[in-house]
Amino acid sequence: MQTNFTPEQLTDPHVAESEGILRKCVHCGFCTATCPTYVTLGNELDSPRGRIYLIKDMLENGRPADEEVVTHIDRCLSCLACMTTCPSGVNYMHLVDHARIHIEQTYKRPLKDRLVRNVLAAVLPYPGRFRLALKAARLGQPLAAAMKRVPFLKSFGIMLDLAPAGIAPASSASTPGIRPAQTEKRGRVAILTGCAQPVLKPGINEATIRLLTRLGVEVVVPQGEGCCGALVHHMGREEQALAAARRNVDVWVKAADAGGLDAIIITASGCGTTIKDYGHMLRLDPAYAEKAARVSALAKDITEYLATLDLPRQEPKAIIVAYHSACSMQHGQKITMAPKILLKNAGFTVRDPAEGHLCCGSAGTYNILQPDISATLKARKVKNIEATKADIIATGNIGCITQIATGTDMPILHTVELLDWAYGGEKPAGILPSP
Amino acid sequence: MPETIAFLEPKPSVLARRQQIVEDLADILPPGCLISEKRGLVPFETDAFIAYRQVPLAVALPETTAQVAAVLKYCSRYGIPVVPRGAGTSLSGGAIPQSDAVVIGLSKMSRILDVDFANRTATVQAGVTNINISEAVSADGFFYAPDPSSQLACTIGGNIGMNSGGAHCLKYGVTTNNLLGVKMVLFDGTVIELGGKALDAPGYDLLGLVCGSEGQLGIVTEATVRLLAKPEGSRPVLFGFMSSEEAGSCVAEVIGSGIIPVAIEFMDKPAIGICEAFAQAGYPMDVEALLIVEVEGSEAEMEAMLASIIAIARRHGVATIRESQSAAQAALIWKGRKSAFGATGRIADYICMDGTVPLGQLSYVLKKTSEIIDSYGLRVANVFHAGDGNMHPLILYNINDPEDAARAEAAGNDILKLCVDAGGCLTGEHGVGIEKRDLMLHQFEQVDLNQQMAARAAFDPQWIMNPSKVFPLEGRPAA
Amino acid sequence: MSMNFEPTSEAEAADIIRQAAAHAVPLAITGGGTRSGLGNSVRAERGLSTRRLSGILSYNPAEMTMSARAGTPMREIEAALAGNRQMLAFEPMDHRGVMGTSGEPTIGGVFAANVSGPRRITAGAARDHLLGIRFINGSGEAIKSGGRVMKNVTGLDLVKLLCGSHGTLGLLTEVTFKVLPLPPAAATIVAFGLDDAQAAAAMAHALAMPVEVSGAAHLTESVRYRFVGTSHPEGAATVLRLEGLPASVAVRAEKLKAAFAQVAPATVLDHEATEKLWRDIRDVKPYADGTQKPLWRVSVAPTAGHQLVAALRLQTGVDAFYDWQGGLVWLRMEADAESEMLRRFIKGIGGGHATLVRASDAVRAATPAFEPEPAPVAALSVRLKEKFDPKGIFNPGKMG
Repeated sequence: MQTNFTPEQLTDPHVAESEGILRKCVHCGFCTATCPTYVTLGNELDSPRGRIYLIKDMLENGRPADEEVVTHIDRCLSCLACMTTCPSGVNYMHLVDHARIHIEQTYKRPLKDRLVRNVLAAVLPYPGRFRLALKAARLGQPLAAAMKRVPFLKSFGIMLDLAPAGIAPASSASTPGIRPAQTEKRGRVAILTGCAQPVLKPGINEATIRLLTRLGVEVVVPQGEGCCGALVHHMGREEQALAAARRNVDVWVKAADAGGLDAIIITASGCGTTIKDYGHMLRLDPAYAEKAARVSALAKDITEYLATLDLPRQEPKAIIVAYHSACSMQHGQKITMAPKILLKNAGFTVRDPAEGHLCCGSAGTYNILQPDISATLKARKVKNIEATKADIIATGNIGCITQIATGTDMPILHTVELLDWAYGGEKPAGILPSP
Repeated sequence: MPETIAFLEPKPSVLARRQQIVEDLADILPPGCLISEKRGLVPFETDAFIAYRQVPLAVALPETTAQVAAVLKYCSRYGIPVVPRGAGTSLSGGAIPQSDAVVIGLSKMSRILDVDFANRTATVQAGVTNINISEAVSADGFFYAPDPSSQLACTIGGNIGMNSGGAHCLKYGVTTNNLLGVKMVLFDGTVIELGGKALDAPGYDLLGLVCGSEGQLGIVTEATVRLLAKPEGSRPVLFGFMSSEEAGSCVAEVIGSGIIPVAIEFMDKPAIGICEAFAQAGYPMDVEALLIVEVEGSEAEMEAMLASIIAIARRHGVATIRESQSAAQAALIWKGRKSAFGATGRIADYICMDGTVPLGQLSYVLKKTSEIIDSYGLRVANVFHAGDGNMHPLILYNINDPEDAARAEAAGNDILKLCVDAGGCLTGEHGVGIEKRDLMLHQFEQVDLNQQMAARAAFDPQWIMNPSKVFPLEGRPAA
Repeated sequence: MSMNFEPTSEAEAADIIRQAAAHAVPLAITGGGTRSGLGNSVRAERGLSTRRLSGILSYNPAEMTMSARAGTPMREIEAALAGNRQMLAFEPMDHRGVMGTSGEPTIGGVFAANVSGPRRITAGAARDHLLGIRFINGSGEAIKSGGRVMKNVTGLDLVKLLCGSHGTLGLLTEVTFKVLPLPPAAATIVAFGLDDAQAAAAMAHALAMPVEVSGAAHLTESVRYRFVGTSHPEGAATVLRLEGLPASVAVRAEKLKAAFAQVAPATVLDHEATEKLWRDIRDVKPYADGTQKPLWRVSVAPTAGHQLVAALRLQTGVDAFYDWQGGLVWLRMEADAESEMLRRFIKGIGGGHATLVRASDAVRAATPAFEPEPAPVAALSVRLKEKFDPKGIFNPGKMG
């Protein structure tokens, strides 16, 4: 589409990049069709095409963000379904990242929003704080219903609601060190411990390490890594996000240099999308650009890596799995077939829920920040999943697991937990007894 | 350099009342259904014909037919122009607003109201997307036939407005042939119903007149469409040729021999490259022209029809024949074709022509088209519905360069005139919109247009419905 | 009428109309006059026929289009098409039988009355095949609309509006239309003994199968012997036509027959028998009875047709059979036209419309031939009529 930036504006590399992205958009409107918020709200301003226009207008005029723009950008889930749909190759992800940074730098949010965002940014990326907060939340849960009725406190009430019933103690899987291969060694990988996931579902990384080591892969849990930065990145808090990225880049480069790494394994696809983007995020930092690109190239979703190991076919099991592809998996990382092929080879019957391209409404902290749209999307997702009449739901992202679990009685597991079981591990807790 | 296309002069009386109008509309519509701030209006300034833009006065997003009626009643009372909008995917600027207009967007009216398999009909709200209809009935073995390339996003209301076609219209016809009834709101808020589940309706064929009327006769809020049983199987086959002329003459002979496949699509070399880059469908890259021919039916039927087509293709020097090997590949072949316009955005801005010519003229028009493009120093990609002669040259240009844009527009006009002179028409399925409005007198005499405008005036005597479109501004009846 | 105008050129026709408009002389517009009885009686002083505006103007079989002057006899069109193994896919009915008229139906008359036959359910109506027209409006201006290509959305679709307007909006002078190849093979599956409701269900089922049924009719017991001979099982005959490549037709016939075998005894008619049967259905043969008994053509949702007939049978003497999967009901009333009851019942089964095709002059004078339109639609129709025929000289009264 036509753009109107001055040569001076284009000297800013962020603006120049956004201009390049905007020039590719031909306004065909295909993106509107697969955008969860447009489908839900029916307003083009809540569609990628509308947001692109709002962002273009804001950037061209070098104007501070205002409430109108912020409202519609905030409603974006960053599910990136639009990028899968877009025939023109518009990199909406980088455009909206830029817009969020611009908003964060130029717009003062109302007090309530700032409070909620500060709490999320201060707690979620830190497992210790998060665990404490969850315990406190359990105590506060009886208040959730009342809080949700007060607009100012609604988001806090929802946070309380989301806190799971049982909070596991810190997992051994998070302890730094090397987990040697149990059979003939065929590879060496590092694993991202992550922030929220090991607190909410420590079993996922435990299963991953068990499965990999059993398959002959040495797993390094590096010292010093932390949250990937996705959470603050999506809030437009660029410096915090880049700091998280640099810290992790240092840790993994060190691990790679020490003993070689075939891959950095990520078991939460939301994190995977961000880590695969480190190379881009740090491209303007001469000290980190190259290292970050190296890390991004090494980053692999667990299913992406397992697909390279040629796992043997297992006997069919009488268990039907509805595979829910997280947005960060299918749109962010374009991993669509590997998880399903792995599950099928492991003996499961796999079904695809209808409208698989639509987000479940989790989207990081979206379910807290945009509770109404999130709840609508959750209901739609659960309806589609339940229609498959599957026994169990498998997915590759902790956010989706938490979100969908609050909407259905069907058990929901990480794909790797099912694979670990199929390839010699313990039966995961919460799975139905096999008939 | 051609003159740019003019919009109607905004009515000062409307612009002067802007604030009052916005307040009144806010009273008429529920919360969240009116956009009136400048920031929020800009994204509605154009559709998929991005060469032209006008920021509207307000955007109404009604949720019910009654709300559409209330807004129209209000607008007609004060003579406020109204521009209907579906998904805003028009390639001819049919949904581009004007500065004194209220846009009525149907995007919130997106429910499927009734599916009747025994009578093979679906009744849907106007904002339902084309593909949603087929998806809703697919599991039961049915589909809705017209399939414009934008079917993922475009709405049935927009399809009715433009009488949209698509690749598979060669066999199944365009929107008007698959539309049984509508509920619509006239300029003054009167709600009428035309047609229904019966195959024909009494009286004048108002439904036929409304279909393709580009939002000038009223706003359709509900539609009843015909469903068809899905064929047993279908298979697209790729035929690569070393020249566009060979491909064009092959199409003419296939149709002339009495074989009517479901679809015959044409792509030239630039288009093949663009589509393959996006879809990775396995199109042959070493040919000058490609035909996608789809046959359907049982295995034996498809084989029989293909054998005849292959024999004809060989007589026209076909270089490559590739059958799709799986349903997944077939889907990719169509995904690539249907994304062709958008995918062109990867390499350049474009304007998309839509002239239709008699089949016998296909090769001649292709050749002349490339001569015209060369004479302007431009590039072109051709991707179109060859089976019914519906050409889509995509003229590539740089929208940030006004001179380049002017050249592209001039070349486009020359190509459309060429189509008319070859015995065809300006637009086969995209509609006149704003884009081709000023070329109408190349196809019609003033007296023909006068009769059309008279029919239009029977529906909208005030000329408030999408008034800048279709009819040249000169020669209109005095208001 | 003192005299018929029979112009031999478009210019002459325009002249006549200009004169008539100037003197407000109402004209009865006709082609060959074989369907003049359709619609309400016309209050006209003079007749204006297109029968001498005759002749095929262009026919390009490879492009599947033909242009002809409006008064060209159907016989001539059909002969030219048959010579190239092509056809009018919408299968226009010949009204001479039921209306007891003679003479030559014209192509202009077919389109002016939007006459469509059994293949309507898949191929569309006459209006779906009409690509372009020339007509003269009520001010005597020659107007062009549409063109000669398959896809054309340039401007308002006056082609559709004129098609089926029964000469009330303009005098068609030229028509350009789509033609299609004759199917190389055809067959009909006949299932015997189904009642009307069962037949409706069976036809809906058949149309939902991927076999491309191109004709679906239910010939009730009272008319069945006029269509299908006595060598078959007894009872009503439900008939389904298949057309296409010989291999296709054979495979699909087997599938359909198998599907029907569970509900009724079924047989298959060959190509020749198929052609005859569907021509008879098209022309409503059982009611080409030389009588003036009121004959209605009722169009409703396909599954509603039999409900309507069942309701009527309880109230009055009626004979009926069904085309278009049950959605086109041919009703012959034994005595009174019963228009009020019929139209009330049609509303009761979900809507549709009834057209009185034939009746005695007395009945016609007392019965609106076409379904009355709701007020806002009727108002639109009146405004349109004024825009095309400001002096009201074309077929006054015909459409209400």
